[in-house]
Amino acid sequence: MATEADRRRFEEEALPHLDTVYRVALRLSGNETQAEDLTQETMLKAFRSWHQYRPGTNVRAWLLTILRHTFINEYRKAKRAATEVDVTHLEPFTVFHHVQDADPEGTFFNQLVDEDVLKAIDRLPDEFRETLVLSDVEGLPYAEIAKITEVPVGTVKSRLFRARQALQKELHDYAVEMGYIKGRKEGDA
Amino acid sequence: MTDQQPRDIDCGEALDRLYEYIDKELTPVRSEEVRIHLEQCAPCLAITNFEDSYVRFLEARTRVQGAPEALKKRILQQLLFETGEHQAR
Repeated sequence: MATEADRRRFEEEALPHLDTVYRVALRLSGNETQAEDLTQETMLKAFRSWHQYRPGTNVRAWLLTILRHTFINEYRKAKRAATEVDVTHLEPFTVFHHVQDADPEGTFFNQLVDEDVLKAIDRLPDEFRETLVLSDVEGLPYAEIAKITEVPVGTVKSRLFRARQALQKELHDYAVEMGYIKGRKEGDA
Repeated sequence: MTDQQPRDIDCGEALDRLYEYIDKELTPVRSEEVRIHLEQCAPCLAITNFEDSYVRFLEARTRVQGAPEALKKRILQQLLFETGEHQAR
């Protein structure tokens, strides 16, 4: 059984990453109740296998790997309802080309509220969403994202590129729809 | 192959590396090559600046929320149960 000393060390080393675990759980699962369950389960599993954690290695990556496996094995089955953003048919830098004369610095982004941004992120396909969340929400380096998501760094790069471009287009189209920026959506005559 | 000296790169290469440049994922030489290209190429610089402010915007808007206090408390409680310490309290 784990001892008081184990617990103290876990609280010192692992618990500071609780906010990160929760935010990633929230974006993976798409709702707060599941995110709380997922976070709690992740931290408990982590504590129970704390003896397997090698001191001095990356505890954040270790926790996020446990989170990801828990999500895939137990939560992903409950299929998310939202329609997915298309990440396959992308022309690079489309949004920039649309707005470069009217708004080259992209100030229209600032008109969007946080909730709009998060909702759009939630509509990215799983593997693109998790890559973007680890990179842009949590600021992890590519190598760490590659380790957690179990793909080569090159795959992280291409997923991140597609995820950011698809999300950008989504936010731009939404901003046009809301009248935050004049413009046209892709496909308009 | 040596990676010591920056070489000239074209717009295609500069844009291929755009996010790696913004994310500071390039080696110093590769990054310097992009920087030199951007100094000389206004269109690529404009795209890079646009994408850079977009990525900063994403960071600023999504990092706000942390774990709820009640959840933290529940987890701390659970750890005490795991070690049997709760009985002593």
